[in-house]
Amino acid sequence: MTMRQRIELTVNGRIRSVEVAPHHTLLDVLRDDLGLTGTKECCLVGECGACTVLVDDLAVDSCLMLGVEADGASVTTVEGLATGDKLHPLQEAFLETGAAQCGFCIPGQLLAAAALLANDPHPTRAAVEEGLAGNLCRCAGYEQIIEAVVVAARAGASES
Amino acid sequence: MRAFAYERPTTLQGAVALLAEHGSEARLLAGGTDLIIRLRDGSIAPRIVVDLKRIAELDGQIREHDGGLTIGARAVMTDIAADGRIRRDYRALAEAAAVVGSVQIRNRATLAGNICNASPAADTAPALLVYGARVIAAGPAGTRRIPIDAFFVRSGVTTLARGELVTAIELPRPTSRPGSVHLRRTRRRGHDLASVTLACAVRADGVTQLAYGSLGPRPVLVSDETGLLADPTAPELAKMRRLEALFVGASPSPRSMRASPEYRLAMLHVLGLRAVGTAIERLAQGSVPR
Amino acid sequence: MTDPCVGMSPRRVGGRDRVTGRQAYVADIHLDDVLHAKLVSLDCARARIITVDTSAALAVPGVRLVMTAADLPQPVPRFGPQFQDRPVLAAGETHYHGEPLAAIAAETKDAAEEATRLVRIEYEELPAVFTIAGALDPMAPLVQDPALRPGDRLARSNVLREHHYGWGDVDAASADVVVEGTYAFPMVTQFAIEPHGFIAAPDSDGIAVWSSIQHPNWLQRVIASLLHLPLAKVRIFAPDPGGGFGGKQHAKYEPLVAFMALRAGRPVRLVLTLEETFQAVRRGASEIHVRSGFRSDGGLVFRDIEANYLIGAYADIADRTVAKGSYTSNGPYRVPAVRIVARSILSHTTPSTAFRGFGNPQQIWAVESNMDEAARALGIDPLALRLQNLAHPGEAFIPGDTPADGDWARTVERAAELIGWGSPPAPGRGRGLAVGLKSGPTTGLSNSIVRLLADGSVIVYAGTSDMGQGARTIFAQIAADELGAPLDWVTVVMGDTAVVPYDQQTSASRSSVFMGNSILLACRDIQAKIRAMAARLEPVDEAAVVVERGEVRIGGRVTPIRDVLVRGLGRLGGELIGIGEMRKEAEPEHPLGGTAAFFEFNCTAVEVEVDRETGDVVVARHVTVSDVGKAMNPIQVRGQDEGAAIMGLGHTLMEHIIHDEAGRIRNLGAIDYRIPTSLDLPLRMESDFVENADGPGPYGAKGMSEGALLCVAPAVAAAVHDATGVRIRDLPLSPERVWRALHDAAESPDAGAPEAIDAR
Repeated sequence: MTMRQRIELTVNGRIRSVEVAPHHTLLDVLRDDLGLTGTKECCLVGECGACTVLVDDLAVDSCLMLGVEADGASVTTVEGLATGDKLHPLQEAFLETGAAQCGFCIPGQLLAAAALLANDPHPTRAAVEEGLAGNLCRCAGYEQIIEAVVVAARAGASES
Repeated sequence: MRAFAYERPTTLQGAVALLAEHGSEARLLAGGTDLIIRLRDGSIAPRIVVDLKRIAELDGQIREHDGGLTIGARAVMTDIAADGRIRRDYRALAEAAAVVGSVQIRNRATLAGNICNASPAADTAPALLVYGARVIAAGPAGTRRIPIDAFFVRSGVTTLARGELVTAIELPRPTSRPGSVHLRRTRRRGHDLASVTLACAVRADGVTQLAYGSLGPRPVLVSDETGLLADPTAPELAKMRRLEALFVGASPSPRSMRASPEYRLAMLHVLGLRAVGTAIERLAQGSVPR
Repeated sequence: MTDPCVGMSPRRVGGRDRVTGRQAYVADIHLDDVLHAKLVSLDCARARIITVDTSAALAVPGVRLVMTAADLPQPVPRFGPQFQDRPVLAAGETHYHGEPLAAIAAETKDAAEEATRLVRIEYEELPAVFTIAGALDPMAPLVQDPALRPGDRLARSNVLREHHYGWGDVDAASADVVVEGTYAFPMVTQFAIEPHGFIAAPDSDGIAVWSSIQHPNWLQRVIASLLHLPLAKVRIFAPDPGGGFGGKQHAKYEPLVAFMALRAGRPVRLVLTLEETFQAVRRGASEIHVRSGFRSDGGLVFRDIEANYLIGAYADIADRTVAKGSYTSNGPYRVPAVRIVARSILSHTTPSTAFRGFGNPQQIWAVESNMDEAARALGIDPLALRLQNLAHPGEAFIPGDTPADGDWARTVERAAELIGWGSPPAPGRGRGLAVGLKSGPTTGLSNSIVRLLADGSVIVYAGTSDMGQGARTIFAQIAADELGAPLDWVTVVMGDTAVVPYDQQTSASRSSVFMGNSILLACRDIQAKIRAMAARLEPVDEAAVVVERGEVRIGGRVTPIRDVLVRGLGRLGGELIGIGEMRKEAEPEHPLGGTAAFFEFNCTAVEVEVDRETGDVVVARHVTVSDVGKAMNPIQVRGQDEGAAIMGLGHTLMEHIIHDEAGRIRNLGAIDYRIPTSLDLPLRMESDFVENADGPGPYGAKGMSEGALLCVAPAVAAAVHDATGVRIRDLPLSPERVWRALHDAAESPDAGAPEAIDAR
């Protein structure tokens, strides 16, 4: 067994210091070491996007990043989107348009959408389709998810 | 995933020393989007993973030099696809970088990693070939430049020596700003591994360069210096014949489940002709992206 | 009354947890002292196990248990919803790629994974069958030991069952035009984004099992029977599945994990990888031969269907999908003579199981493609041909079964209107249209309890699984309206067999109808008590009191239920409890064991663009219209229909499981099993529904949510034909397949013509 290594990272604004095994992914660290199970595990090959988180404000598949690589990084997970009881405009929009069905892909969809809107506050439909193409959904057929992102953009999600 | 040791050298020298010491037991980690998949599926099981992201000499900058560009080893696809200079002067590379996986993948995957994996299907390789890119490698014997066409050997194998790693990729100043384009074939419109990936550059002097991947053990560069392909008035049938001659070396694997050899070859010709047409148009327009 | 909630689109009940990451799926549940399990399987389709040496695996630090068939009761217990044929762990022989023959339980996932590599298995690879032709070959190896099928005349073949349905005399029918063809549907997999997860824990003198299961009560019976425990000692927790689509209906590895937990004396959890999920569930593949006879005016005279479904190594519920999918395979049409033969054929592949559409999409692909070919052969517009032959409302289109329960022509006409049928498509595009019909449940039993608490808030207990279809929201809407509570005063409790009463299953689009009615009855039970209460308080005769939709009416005076409740409960407080039961009994004489509770009906019309050089098919417009009776929640109806439509586009355009020449799955995992992404959508999606309040559910609702998947493939293939003149009878319509068909057609203009058009 390889030695665990101590890393320090900021998760949802809170500094966390944790010992991780080098071969554990950021997804493992979030779910197993930090107990943040909102980030979901599915394909583990960077195809489904269920494990999407923001690392230094960029959307990444946390299954394709080692935990040790996140040393010093700032990570945002779905648990960090809302401010206290106040939902993020994207979360509101997903509820409003019925975008969340089984819900399993939704944390990843939300973070991919948040990253998209941060770069492009008023995206075209084509830009939303491109921005969410790394997040598979098997329930909703995407239409209501795309609508939600458009609704959130109109509500000024990128400014929150 | 099997356990391994993780090292994060802060100097190039330190990284080179680790590679020299561990040889094939070591694997380099840049973006990790290929490496971690292979660590998980067990197709590789290194004893040590060497992370390049804290090496002071390596960065993700895209710098101008002698009229060309130098792309740092840590530059990711998102940055390459968005770079104004690449979009203007090396448009096929920007287009290729923009279709490497999803946003999440492109935010991590590096150009250097893409070529070092030497996948025959690597989307950026054809573009680098048509622009005559050079790979800068540092190793125990110092630094050297390897023409990209001399870099690829076969799937997973490059001409990098033991202890060598890629520090940057140079794009030479274009002799004239060519009209260029990247095209590919996939099983769906959403991101996918290419069953044909192809770049084409048509130069003002009448030379057309085409490079294609996913049709043999390594990406291949071919060149038409007759001026036929670049000639907007030449008949399509003549161009198809010329492409047939140029693509004679394509040898797609019969073992792939993604597409049959017949389809890949047919699509190589379809895409080749389309790419030539688009490149000619772009040359005429001065290759300015929208 | 207050504003009704049913028929509106309030936010999803449970939605907030889904957007904040608080929704706990099975893999998110942490139990103290838990052991992590990993499966051990062989990289081949079929093997004889010679020896299994677990010593090296057991020596890995942290490994607590290495379970093999030898550690189970002997003979190894078997289970299954139709046949008790699936062993808890493979014993003696493995029958499909990925079938587990051992399992590790360890303190960490790493230790369990390491140990899987150290189980030394000596085995001999055996010949396997994984195609219909291969399985039907008289020399083919038998997938199931005939001893498992005593008294079965088919036991010495790979045909598990052969079903015969029909009416009239097909052989005597005289047709002007006969059109026939064979249509193939590939193996596809559910690909719920949540991989299946299971936890089992010893629970005082019984056992608790957590599973992402659609049918918790059925699982409870399976576990109780395997462990010889009374039902009351088996507690199933069924957290909301992260997508089910049929793949999570029946027990898979819950029995294994339960045996492991009892042996280890500790909780054991097994969360499958996506690859393992692909090896656990899929849809049956099929080859279906259709021969249809018409009068020259387009009237259907007969239909003759022979369907072969390739199911897997164990029956699971697959034979039922074959039976149910085939029984209605003639479709929603009036045909005097119909003959249907359908076979479930075992193979050394992943056991196929329920998957949205339940055996019907395969048949509808064949029969609706055949209808389009017939329209061309007859020179009749495909829309007109459908409308001409559709059963009218109330018509007994399947003798002895539920008559047509919808005005289906209206649905078809609406779809045609939306796509602009009759106007020319844009240049280079083609249009296609198809209809789909599926029988709802044939039997069912849903119990519910509703508690009206002292302040007028409500708790509903329903054993349905909310896997995204939105059952929880619908139930809350019904209770809110009936009892006059705001929606956010209603709580719906699900997923715990120790607390929630029996629900037979969450399948066949039944829950709005079956559990919906059950909850409606439980609310009516409470309303009766409110009525008595109001009569006592006034006092008036009970006959003078009307309680309806949240209100109490006495004469011209209207009072909210809550006001009567608060006064009636008085100082002692307390609550009112209502119970509901919706039951549809089996009919032993019926070929399916019961008539259809309702039919799902959908019409899909599409417009496509085909790139003739590459074979790319782009769906430019996709119109899907379903007959839902009553849309209790229109946003949810839309979400279900559009989701089903895109899932249908998946098997139409790109999805298929590929085997190598030895029967191993080659495209195992998300890189090479492609499903639609947001970049693969139709350029324009339009969904609509028809509401005639003619369903058996609350307020006239019918079941819905499978309909919009049923006929996507034949609609798209018809449109490809319309655009190119090329007929393709195999799915998926991948770029390469379309390119090849175009290529072949260019070389031989007759390619793609029906196998036979026999015009007399």
